[in-house]
Amino acid sequence: MSSRFERYALLLTLPAGIMVLALYALPILQVLSLSLTEGKGAWANYSQLFTSRAVAKVVGTTLNVSLLTTAITLVVAYVIAFGMIHMTARSRRIALLMVSIPFWISVLVRAFAWITILRSQGVLNGALMGLGVISQPLELVYNRLGVTIGMVHYMVPFAVLLLYANLTDIDRRIVQAARSLGARPLTVFLKVWLPLSAPGLGVAALFVLVFSLGFLVTPALLGGGKTLMIAEYISVQISTTRRWDLATALSTALLIVVGLLIALALRSPTMRAAFGGGRR
Amino acid sequence: MHRDFSKDAAEILAEKLRAGLIDRRGFLTALGAMGLAVVLRPGMAQAAEGEVVLCNWGGAAVDAFQQAFGAPFTAQTGMKLVIDGAGPSTGAIRAMVDSGNVIWDVTDGGLIDGMTLGAAGFAEPIDYAIVDKTKVRDGLAQEFGVGNYTFATVIAYQASKFPTAPLSAVDFFDFDKFPGKRTMCKWVQGQLELALLADGVAVADLYPLDVDRAFKKLEPYLKDIIFWEGGAGSQQLFRDGEVAMGFIWHTRAKLLRDENPDFTWTWTNNMLSTSAWSVPKGNPAGKKVFDFINSALDPEGQLTLLRLMGNGPTNPKALALMTDADKAIDPTAPGNTEGQVTISQDYYAANEAELQNQYLDFIAA
Repeated sequence: MSSRFERYALLLTLPAGIMVLALYALPILQVLSLSLTEGKGAWANYSQLFTSRAVAKVVGTTLNVSLLTTAITLVVAYVIAFGMIHMTARSRRIALLMVSIPFWISVLVRAFAWITILRSQGVLNGALMGLGVISQPLELVYNRLGVTIGMVHYMVPFAVLLLYANLTDIDRRIVQAARSLGARPLTVFLKVWLPLSAPGLGVAALFVLVFSLGFLVTPALLGGGKTLMIAEYISVQISTTRRWDLATALSTALLIVVGLLIALALRSPTMRAAFGGGRR
Repeated sequence: MHRDFSKDAAEILAEKLRAGLIDRRGFLTALGAMGLAVVLRPGMAQAAEGEVVLCNWGGAAVDAFQQAFGAPFTAQTGMKLVIDGAGPSTGAIRAMVDSGNVIWDVTDGGLIDGMTLGAAGFAEPIDYAIVDKTKVRDGLAQEFGVGNYTFATVIAYQASKFPTAPLSAVDFFDFDKFPGKRTMCKWVQGQLELALLADGVAVADLYPLDVDRAFKKLEPYLKDIIFWEGGAGSQQLFRDGEVAMGFIWHTRAKLLRDENPDFTWTWTNNMLSTSAWSVPKGNPAGKKVFDFINSALDPEGQLTLLRLMGNGPTNPKALALMTDADKAIDPTAPGNTEGQVTISQDYYAANEAELQNQYLDFIAA
């Protein structure tokens, strides 16, 4: 009976598959082909990525902001996830709900909310000045700091869920064994928890980094025009300056880099284990 | 730049009418942005006999254009004006002409965009045997586009923040006399001109722009300038008290003043931009489109648009029909043109892409 159903099970995924092909695969192929034929041809299009100082600067900014976002996100998310696995089941349900609430709010709304909080006469500066902690408003937004805050906020829930799943899987008997052998709490954390959560941290880092490289709305709104990242640069080249040669080559390059990053990461056994969940 | 202004003008109107919900046109605009409009809409806006299809930037501008230009055109010729708000970006026009499936007869784009499209072979030349050149001011009747409205970027400020009112580009960059953050636009047209005027260059000597000199003038102030991307954002920076002075579109400056008289602007050293009617290559209605363009240059329709959206007329005859309230918001009315810079079409048609990238690179920290 199951075999008959299995034969048709594929049909259930067919509409989604067709959507992906029509709306993702085809346009991506179109971008790829444009990057080879547009302007002065493939060689010129791709070589300018390495010779243009402006592109180097945009790539540098993007890497800088993305790596910083990844580092901060991992620390924050690890603390939260570590706290969650040690809670009572009831508190954990509440914590999980709190972590998922930001998913319900669009990236645009979140960016504007951060502006309200961070701007010079905003909630945070107002409170700090009211308390007499500062006399001049801090410059928290319309700069790289604002972009990083917005991006970390966006990424933390994803990282918490990834790390939470990983930490839950760690065999508590190992922790008990370490304790019974006389390890102090810090030693238990450094020698047991941290190494065993390395795959989870790896997956979360990769996920956050890949996601961060493509941020568009958050840097555009919180950066005050002064934090130019790859996605926004590509969008300007498509719609404003009509430099499709540059835009399509840069898009393709970004896609390849992200693909390589994931492929490389998957070669490491710990990462494979984390993705496959096969180490239990 | 033009694209953003036109969209913004529509947004303003939408806010006024409180009809900002997504509708069919909004959906089509989104499709257009994805490059799917041409594929998914065969025949949807196909010109029937006796129809001219106009493409603009959607939203409330569809109804405003219909009222300003469609109604008089139908009354004069019996032909219908169909408006597609999908957004005639140069990219969309190019894709349409390339595919050989042109559904638009006339587009609302920048005069500079018209020139670049024409040079690349994506636009029909305007037929001046039908379109009356004398209906627009000098320089606005170009081979591939004829001016349909104007808009200005002006120095707006919050009066209560300063003891005296800032009067010019020089004051804009005088942070000692006029302390407080500034906002400028991240689209380059007009921005370097402002810096050069402040540095002592005469209006007549601006073009070709001395880019290095402009950057040198701007550099020390970059940390105190926030760059806006769309009209609504520029207005919000003032409302939030984030900036004391800014270089923003006159339509947004007017909204600020309507909301709170503490916000105002000076017309001195404003940058005048011109939008244009252009015709995509191989348009379905053929020559009939030029009857529409000729009709849409009449002063009455342009005045309707000024009142609905704040876009200035290109027909000099419109002035005689204006009230004082109309004149106060028209960038080309007498009294509003002190030290005005007309954004150079020739210069930007040749240099904009390169300059825009240089500018973005320069302002990026």
